[in-house]
Amino acid sequence: MLPLLSLTLATLLVGTLGTFFAGARARWVALATSILFLLEVALLFLNYSGWPGYNGSLVPGFSESESYAWIHLSWLQINYTVGVDGISLVFVLLTAILQIATVVYSWGETRRPGAYFGLVLLTCLGSFGVFVALDILLFFLFWEAVLVPMFFLIGHWGGPHRRYAALKFFVYTHVASIVMLVGLLALVFYSGATSFDFAAVYASARSLAAVPQTFLFLALFFGFGVKFPIVPFHTWLPDAHVEAPTGGSVLLAGLLLKLGGYGLIRWAVELLPSGLHTTQPLLFFIAFLSIVWGSVLSLSQRDLKRLVAYSSINHMGIVLLAIALDSSLGLIAAVLLMFAHGIVSGLLFMTSGSVHHTFGTRDIPSVGGITPTTPALSTMIMAGSLASLGLPALISFPAEFTALLATWNGLHYWVFVPLGILVVTAAFYLWMMQRLLFGPPKGIPREAHDVPWYEGAGMGILVLFTILFGILPGLLVNVIVSSPIRGWPGT
Amino acid sequence: MDLSSFAGPFLPEILLLAGTLLVFLFDVLGVRTTERVGAVAVGATALALLFVVADLGFAPLTFLRTIPAGQLDAAASGTPLYAFTSLGLVFQAIFLLATLLVSLASLSRPSRDRGAPIFFGLLQLAALGMLLVALASDLIFLLLAIEVTSIATYLLVAYTRHDSRSLEAAMKMYIIGALSTTLSFFGASLLYGAYQTTSLLAIARDGGAAGFPVLVLLGYGFLIVGLAFKATLVPFHAWAVDAYDGAPTDVTAFLAGGSKKVGLFAFFLIFLAPILFVRAAAPGGSPFTSGAVALGPVLQITLSVLAVGTMTLGNVLALLQKEMKRMLAYSSISQAGYMLIGIAVGTAPALAGATLQIFAHVFMKTGAFLLVAGVTAWGVGPLIDDWKGLGTRRPFVGVAFALMLLSLAGVPLTVGFVSKFVLFSAAVQAQGYFVWLAVAGLLNSALSVFYYARVLRVMYFEEPAARATPTGAVAGGSEPPVLPAGGLGYGRATAILLAVVLIVAVGVYPQPVLGAIQAAATHFVNLGA
Repeated sequence: MLPLLSLTLATLLVGTLGTFFAGARARWVALATSILFLLEVALLFLNYSGWPGYNGSLVPGFSESESYAWIHLSWLQINYTVGVDGISLVFVLLTAILQIATVVYSWGETRRPGAYFGLVLLTCLGSFGVFVALDILLFFLFWEAVLVPMFFLIGHWGGPHRRYAALKFFVYTHVASIVMLVGLLALVFYSGATSFDFAAVYASARSLAAVPQTFLFLALFFGFGVKFPIVPFHTWLPDAHVEAPTGGSVLLAGLLLKLGGYGLIRWAVELLPSGLHTTQPLLFFIAFLSIVWGSVLSLSQRDLKRLVAYSSINHMGIVLLAIALDSSLGLIAAVLLMFAHGIVSGLLFMTSGSVHHTFGTRDIPSVGGITPTTPALSTMIMAGSLASLGLPALISFPAEFTALLATWNGLHYWVFVPLGILVVTAAFYLWMMQRLLFGPPKGIPREAHDVPWYEGAGMGILVLFTILFGILPGLLVNVIVSSPIRGWPGT
Repeated sequence: MDLSSFAGPFLPEILLLAGTLLVFLFDVLGVRTTERVGAVAVGATALALLFVVADLGFAPLTFLRTIPAGQLDAAASGTPLYAFTSLGLVFQAIFLLATLLVSLASLSRPSRDRGAPIFFGLLQLAALGMLLVALASDLIFLLLAIEVTSIATYLLVAYTRHDSRSLEAAMKMYIIGALSTTLSFFGASLLYGAYQTTSLLAIARDGGAAGFPVLVLLGYGFLIVGLAFKATLVPFHAWAVDAYDGAPTDVTAFLAGGSKKVGLFAFFLIFLAPILFVRAAAPGGSPFTSGAVALGPVLQITLSVLAVGTMTLGNVLALLQKEMKRMLAYSSISQAGYMLIGIAVGTAPALAGATLQIFAHVFMKTGAFLLVAGVTAWGVGPLIDDWKGLGTRRPFVGVAFALMLLSLAGVPLTVGFVSKFVLFSAAVQAQGYFVWLAVAGLLNSALSVFYYARVLRVMYFEEPAARATPTGAVAGGSEPPVLPAGGLGYGRATAILLAVVLIVAVGVYPQPVLGAIQAAATHFVNLGA
C-alpha cells in the first residue's frame, strides 16, 4: 500500500524547502504544493476505510498507519508512527483548505516572499504533522515546529507592536508546551506503557487510578488549554492576532487554536477518562468563563480584527464545553465547531485584513456604507458574519446546533448560558454589519477600490467551503463518528 | 591480529604518551612548524580514538580490540587501581573526540606560531590524563589522574606567554585548581579514615554503613566542593568564566568540551556508586533507614540542589552577557547543571542521558569555541554585536554556528535535543520528586533559547554596524569591518564540519550512539550487583 501520510509529509517538506529558496517565484511553488496537498488529502478521504462503515476493534484503530523504529532502548521506545482516524481527517482537511486559501490571499506579498510563503507552508506542515502523529515524541516535534514559523511570521511581517506580540506568543505557548511534554512523559512512565505509541499508551493509561489520572489530565489540560486559549491564559491571543499579518492571523485562528482542541481530545480525553471525569466541574467553570468573558470582551471592541480575535475565545469556550460534556455527541460537536470556526474565523480575519488595506483603518465606527465602493468585499464580510452568527445552511449552524443539543443532554438548563451569548453575539454582528456595510458612506478614501482578485479568491475559497459543509454537514459527521472513541454509538 | 599480546589494553594511552614525547622531541630537534607537530598530535589522537571505539564493540572495528573479552565490565576482584568499563571507554571516546577536534582546528593556527610544540604536547598530555581518569577505580589514582590533566591545562592556558590576559587566566586557574585539589585530597583522606580503603568499589559497597558517619559526610562534602570547582558548578564557577574568556580560544574549546568533563566523570565515579548501592541495599524500603548514614538520599538531594542552581544561575548570567566568549562560557556552566541531573537521579537511563549530554556538548561547545576562534582571527570583535550580518556575509560559517547554537538550545533534530529529551525522560521515569528536576531542566532550556536566539538575530537580521567597536579591536572608522578573503583554514574547517555533521546525524538518528551509551550505563549501574 502507498504510504500516503509519509508521502504527504514529504510533499509538504519538499514544497516548504523549495518555497524558501524560490525567491520571487515562491508563491508559485507554494500554490503548487498547496494544490498537491489538497489532492493528497482528497485521496486520504477516498481511501479512508472507516467511511462509511468502520469495523471497530478494542484499541482505537487508525487507517493509513505506518510505524518505523526510531529510538529503541530498554526503557524508551520511540517510533515514527503516523495514522489517521475520522477526527484527524477532519483537521487535516481544514489544514489543506486554510493553506491554499492563505497562499492565494497573500499572493501580493512583496516583503521577502520566499521566507513568507515558506513560513506559511511550514506552519501547515507542522499542523498536519500534529494531526497525524501517533507517537508522543513525533507529536511534540511537530507541535514545536508550528511555534517557530508563527513566531517569525508575527515578528517580521506583523504590525507596529509585533516584537512584543511575538515574544508574548512564544513565551506563553512555549511554557505551555513544556508542561504538556512533562505531562506526556509522565503519562508514559507512570502508566508503564511499553512504548511512546498512542496505542501502547492507550492500552496502559486508561487503567491508571483516578488520582494520577487527575494530575496528568490537569497538566495536559494546561498545556493544551493555553493554545485554546482558555481564560485566564488567553491574553497572548489578542496581541498575537492583532499584530500578525493577515495570513498569520488566519493560520493562528484557523489552525493553531485547533491544535489545542485536537491535542486535548486525542492525548487527554481519550487516554484519561477518569481524569476527565474528576476535573469536569473545573472544565465547565473555565468553559463558561471563557464563553462569557470572551464575548464581553469581543462586544466592547471597536477594532474589527480585535473583535474577531476575542470572539475566538468565546467560540473555543463552547468547544471546551462540548469536550467537557464527555459524551459522543459533545465530541462530534467539538470537532465540527473547530472545523467551522477554523474556516469562518479565517474568512473574517481575511475580510478585516482587506478592510484595513482598502480603507486604511479597522476602526468600525469611523468607516461606514462601504457596499457601493467595494461590493465584493462587502459580500465576503456579510458571508463571514452570517456564518459566524450561525445562520442555517452555513457551516457554523450544524456545529452550534449539535453543541447546544449536547449541552442540553448533559447539563440541561445551563444551555441557556451559551445560547444567550450566541443570541447577543448574533445581534452584535448584525449591528456591526449595519454600520459598516450599509447606511450613508463615511470615512472612505477617494482612491478606495474593491479588493484585488487574489484576496477575493482567497476569501471565495473559504466561502465555498462554508456553504458546502453548511448544506452537507453529513460529509464531515460521517467521518467523525467512524472514529472508534469511547462512548461512540457501537463501540 | 591479537593486539592485546602486543601492547595490551593500554594501547590508546601508550599512543598518546608516545605522541607527547615525539612532539617534545621535535621541539628539541628544531621541527617546530604547526603543521608538522600538529600532524603527529592528530595522528596519535585519531589512532587512539580508533582503538577505543573498537573496544566499545562497533561491528566493523572489532578486530582491533585491545581489551581481552573477559576484562571489560568484569566484576572486580580485590581492590585494583584501574578497571575497564564500557562507560569509561565511552568517556575515553568523548575525551579523545574533543582532543581530536581541537588538534584538527589548531592545524590552522599560524604556521610560525612559536609555541606549537608546547601547545600540541600539552594537549596530548592533558588528554592522557583524561584517559587515565576514565580508567580509575581507586580514589587516589583518580585524583592523581585529574592532577595530570589539570597541570597540563594550566600550562596550556598560558602557553602564549606574552598575552597578559592569558597569564591572568592561567594564574586564576592555578590558584583555584590548587585549592580544589587540596580540598579533594582532604576529602579523600577523610574517606580513607572512615573506610580504611581507597578503592572506589569497596567504598561504594560499604555505602553509608561505616561506623564514622561524621567522617563520611565530611569526606564526601570536601570531595563535592573540590570536584565542583573542576566541573564548574555554581557556586564554585566564578573562576571558569574568567579563565575561559582569557585563555586562547582554542584552549577554551578544550577546557569547555574536554577537561571540564573530567570533573563530571569523577562525579559519576565517586558519587553515583554510593547512591546505587544504598538503593540496592534497601529496595522498596525507605533509603533513610539503611546504614548508619542516609548517604544516598543526602547525596541525591545535594546534587539536585547543585544541578538546579547551576542550570538556573548559568542561564540567567548567560542572558546578561554582551561578549560572545563569556556568553558561551556561562552557557557551558548551565549545561553542567543538566549533566548533574543524571547523577542526582542515579538510574541507568538517567546516566545514559547525562553521558549523551556530555557527548553532545563536545560537538556543540568545542565546535562553537573553535568557530569563534576562527572568526576572531578574521578581526571580528569580542562582542556579540560585532557578529552583525555575519550569517549572510559568510553563509557556511553562519549555518554551522546556527546549528551549534540551535543544538545547545535543544531544538529538535539536533543532538542537543535528543540528549535533553533522554535526560528529562529519565528523570520523569524515575518518578517521585525527580519529575521536578525535569521541570526545572525544561524551564531552563526554554530560558536558554533567548540568548542563543539573540545571537542568531544578530547574525541574520541585523546589518553590520558602521562604527568602531568599543574595544577598538577592529579597524572601524565608518566602514563595517572588512573580512579577509581567506577561509577558516582546512584543519579548522574540517573540525567544524565534523562537529556539525555529528550534531545533525546523531540528532536525526541517535540509535547507534545512544544504544552503545545505554548499554555502557547499564553495565556501570550493574557493576556491584
